[in-house]
Amino acid sequence: MSNFFAQTRVIARRDFKAVVATPTFLLFLLAPLFMIVMAVLGGTGASQAVSSAQDKTRIAAIVSAEDLPLVQATDAEMRHLYPVEIGPSRLDVVVSHGADDARAAKTMLAATSPDYTAVLYGPLATPTILRESAGGAAYLSELAEQSLRNRQAGLTPGVRLSRPVAKEAKAATGSAQGRQVTGYGAVFAIFFLTLLLAGQTVGMLAEEKSNKVIEILAAAAPLESVFVGKLVGMFGVALLFVSFWIVLGGVGLAVLTGASGLPALTAAIGAPTFLILCVGYFAMAFMLLGAIFLGVGAQASTMREIQMMSLPITIFQVAMFGLASKAAGQPGSAVARFAEIFPFSSPFAMAARAANDAALWPHVAALLWQLLWVAITIWISARLFRRGVLKSGPGLFSFLRRRKG
Amino acid sequence: MAHSRYHATANEGMWPVDDDTPVWANDLVKHFGSATAVNGVSLSVPRGMIYGVLGPNGAGKTTTLRMLLGIIDPDSGARRLLGHSAPREASQRVGYLPEERGLYPAMKAREAIAFMGALRGLDWAEGRRRAGDMMEEAGLGHAVDRKIRQMSKGMAQLVQLLGSIVHRPELIVLDEPFSGLDPVNQEHLESLVRAESARGATILFSTHVMSHAERLCERLAIIAGGKRRFEGTVEEARGVLPMQAHYVPCQRGEEAARLLPADARFDGRAWHFEVPDGGAERLLMSLIEAGHGVAGLTMQRPGLHDAFVRIVGDARQQDAEAAR
Repeated sequence: MSNFFAQTRVIARRDFKAVVATPTFLLFLLAPLFMIVMAVLGGTGASQAVSSAQDKTRIAAIVSAEDLPLVQATDAEMRHLYPVEIGPSRLDVVVSHGADDARAAKTMLAATSPDYTAVLYGPLATPTILRESAGGAAYLSELAEQSLRNRQAGLTPGVRLSRPVAKEAKAATGSAQGRQVTGYGAVFAIFFLTLLLAGQTVGMLAEEKSNKVIEILAAAAPLESVFVGKLVGMFGVALLFVSFWIVLGGVGLAVLTGASGLPALTAAIGAPTFLILCVGYFAMAFMLLGAIFLGVGAQASTMREIQMMSLPITIFQVAMFGLASKAAGQPGSAVARFAEIFPFSSPFAMAARAANDAALWPHVAALLWQLLWVAITIWISARLFRRGVLKSGPGLFSFLRRRKG
Repeated sequence: MAHSRYHATANEGMWPVDDDTPVWANDLVKHFGSATAVNGVSLSVPRGMIYGVLGPNGAGKTTTLRMLLGIIDPDSGARRLLGHSAPREASQRVGYLPEERGLYPAMKAREAIAFMGALRGLDWAEGRRRAGDMMEEAGLGHAVDRKIRQMSKGMAQLVQLLGSIVHRPELIVLDEPFSGLDPVNQEHLESLVRAESARGATILFSTHVMSHAERLCERLAIIAGGKRRFEGTVEEARGVLPMQAHYVPCQRGEEAARLLPADARFDGRAWHFEVPDGGAERLLMSLIEAGHGVAGLTMQRPGLHDAFVRIVGDARQQDAEAAR
């Protein structure tokens, strides 16, 4: 057994160094920077497009001269309840010209600049609303209602009768919604990192097959040791990658916001334990999916075959993410239980559980369960490799045949 | 009659084994799909010996070696490597140079040798130190920090060979070690093999180049068509064929034909024929009595090459007859 681990360490060390000690690793390490730059540029563009669209679209109310100040004041009162990003379009209040209001409303709606999405006309008690979008129409309807209420109650819009005092108060384990958000965040982060990093293992044995080193490895060490060594080596690369970005992100945030330390996490199990468990589940997710990638990739002979084989695994990975996301949104449900037990979604779903449930023992059991499945996956991968590539050894189900015989 | 002399040792019976026999195999069989690569090969390599596995291309040499090393498992038959029935349990005491050479192209030569040693249990730092010394001795001292991809094929092959012996194994298995090497490097490799043998290592190597086998092997096995067709020393292999006589008559050379064996061949000056079972004396006497005289006579054993061709040729004929 000590030989097994020694050989695993040698292979892991070689693979880690082979990846890290190359100029291309720098490109790999900094790849998210390009993603961030593109996201920032894209986000800025999208935000400008949205704000520009918001500036251009308007709603209008054609009201009598008498109602005009009331409607304007009520609009001001209602508008401040909405966050700017999702608030109603700018309101133009126009004085009514009697019988021509319907035609005026149609003309305004047909105009392209300004671009009206809804126009209200007629008495406030029985207004007519011409509309292009439901959102604008609903706001105008509510505006008419609120204006009339203000008038009937004799209230002056904008003048408050109460003086509320808001105080910050947080529950020890956060709100249920906060915990679910944390759980979902953990699921997404682990999924994203494994999607980004575990896929790298798919072509790892292809290198050994193409340069014939596999013969040296297979003669010296058990294939299981080769597979584990390769996974551990790549996991080392992944840890280096994640650590680099955590440190860089922490420093970046500290510089930009002046804050330091960990961001506040709402997790039932407690923030430090939650973070440790997330690292553990990331390791397990990486090993499980990496072992599948490695095992499937080991069967391939060409890059084209590797690419063809990667797609179904990626789809499988996304399916596991979908299942775990569902579990994060419905803690304690049957779906959540299934996702926590099914080995390949378990790391994601259990990370979500750590945010929603304070019990520690299920995590110890889950980590052991996942480790068992890592071993099973590697065993199957090695057996398939021995059978499919080295053309040796019994098939996967040979023990069944023996029993029948 | 020559057949019976070598077929007597081919593929017969259970071979004796003791823990001191580094390589032992009995009746190994391996199929790849419907093709039979190895069909009942048995081997026993005594400790400290340089042992050759000879055979034509596709004879099953590599498959046999891979089964002995535990890279692949036989479909049937038994094997023991350095006393272990699971060959990989002895992997730290074995060095192996595969037929298809394999090194990481981006690795430096010293690291590649140390890595191969580390896989076999040698401390990495010690492996690096030994790699430097060994490369120096092999005349590659200038290339210790050169990447494999920057080396010639021959240099890379030597690096791989050094990697397979850096941990000083008890058993060294070399699959076609001379292929791809120029004569200088072949000579160098031969001395390396002798040096390792002198150190006490058992060496098992496969080749289809008879000159190397003739110079190096103390014993050898000839495999053809997946079966072992001969086992013994080089001399015994050469003994498979009768002595060849080259007789130059004094006069009336062509008329000597009636006294010579039926397959005797005259080249205008000398007759060439296989020495009969009973020896050449009686034949010579008859030639002299008939007045042909003896202007010249040489008798020599055929080389390993001829013996190999005969054994493999006979094997193919036998297989063809068996198939009919």
